[in-house]
Amino acid sequence: MVALFNILVFPGFIFLGVYALLFEFLDRRIYARLQNRMGPPWFQPLADFLKLIGKEAVIPAEADKKVFPALPIFALAAVTTAFLYVPIWSGNSLLPFSGDLIVVLYLLTIPTLTFFLAGWYSTSVYATVGSMRALTQLFSYEVPLFMALLAPALLADSWSISGISQFYAAHPLYILINIPAFVVAIVSCQGKLERVPFDMPEAETEIVSGTFVEYSGRFYAVFRMAIDAELVVVAAIIAAIFLPFFTANPVVGFILFVVKTIIILFILAVFRSVMARIRIEQMVKFCWKYLVPLAIIQIIVNILLKGVLPL
Amino acid sequence: MTKTFIEKAIDWGRRKSPWIIHFNAGACNGCDIEVVDSLTPRFDVERFGLLQKGTPRHADVLVCTGAVTLQTRDRLKRIYEQMPDPKFVIAVGTCACSGGIFDGCYCVAGGIDAVIPVDVYVPGCAARPEAIIDAVVKLLTALENMQKGTPATPEQDDTADVPALEEIENAVTEASAATAAVSSDNQSADSATTANQGGEE
Repeated sequence: MVALFNILVFPGFIFLGVYALLFEFLDRRIYARLQNRMGPPWFQPLADFLKLIGKEAVIPAEADKKVFPALPIFALAAVTTAFLYVPIWSGNSLLPFSGDLIVVLYLLTIPTLTFFLAGWYSTSVYATVGSMRALTQLFSYEVPLFMALLAPALLADSWSISGISQFYAAHPLYILINIPAFVVAIVSCQGKLERVPFDMPEAETEIVSGTFVEYSGRFYAVFRMAIDAELVVVAAIIAAIFLPFFTANPVVGFILFVVKTIIILFILAVFRSVMARIRIEQMVKFCWKYLVPLAIIQIIVNILLKGVLPL
Repeated sequence: MTKTFIEKAIDWGRRKSPWIIHFNAGACNGCDIEVVDSLTPRFDVERFGLLQKGTPRHADVLVCTGAVTLQTRDRLKRIYEQMPDPKFVIAVGTCACSGGIFDGCYCVAGGIDAVIPVDVYVPGCAARPEAIIDAVVKLLTALENMQKGTPATPEQDDTADVPALEEIENAVTEASAATAAVSSDNQSADSATTANQGGEE
């Protein structure tokens, strides 16, 4: 019963859905305020979701009838599963085990792969271009993001997100060592979330909406929900690893979680509003030329410091 | 004919989140500029949940400008058929409403309603952004009346959308007042410089 409650209500499906809608609203509101306008009302993401649920869902005649409707569900399921391993109310997540950092990172790769397959199985030209870009982008941001998240894990000598969070809560000053990794993680996670400046896969002005061109109705609603939920999960992981908890009280811990993830969201929203889209080959160049070396230096520094610092 | 809670929620979502796609069926670009203008931060249509979408699969409202030429007739029909139900059409500008001065031309099929059914007509050459936003609000009010089973008569539309229209006008006057203040500063600076020049002469 408790397990079912955990999976379906808190911290699983329903909580993640509500929090994802709240995040989309905050993102759009901050974006609007930075453009000197009012922005949408608080219920806007919910209205969008309900409207898309109620709309006719078109499956193109050329598309694969089985894979096309299944892909959004895969994306949402992978993201929701990843959320179970992220600490929310204290240093411990719901089901921590050694190595869950790796599992969560690979679970978060599944949505990108479903975006690729969504574009591929739509058989639309725009969608195919978008899906090729999604894969190209995957190969450029994934390496710096993984290395930036593994560097703190090396210093903490733990491969679970909860373990890393507890280590840095016990040694608060060590957070300062990881600031370069934090910067790398923030920049490269925008590639994962396909946000400006790395939104080439769904560049509206050149390839219409990229991989989602043919998606409509409830399929698109689930995809949007998966993207919003991915934003929550990525913000929560970055918050757990780089800004750990300092409390054992679950209520205070939960409030801290909300505050920390909203700070990360604010940084991402500011990036989105001040930047313009760059070209795909500029992004590959930028990620491999600057972000990867920075992450490698961070890993080397952390390995060296591990021998020196009292742990 | 009572609706369940879920149907009511979906009806509410439809009223609150009209996503538009803009199609130029052969306009002179005057109305297109005004449609783009109404999407700028100054008018901020995202307050009503309006978003511009690139693909007809995501859109609810087709905003059409210009008289339909024989070249675009089939494309317009195809874009309309690609949109999932329920869908609405707004004809922006005199040419889109009736064909305008191009009506009867050898290459023109007529207004938008010669090809696809139109829900709201916005006359004007070119239609102002306020008029376009008002058309969207009118469409949503008519939709609400339709959902509640009352007929969408013009009288009801007018009374129902007055607060929304006033809201827009207030926002626009505030914005223009702000710009007017800035420009009057500039003007006073200009007049000061001209006065100086006059003194030198």
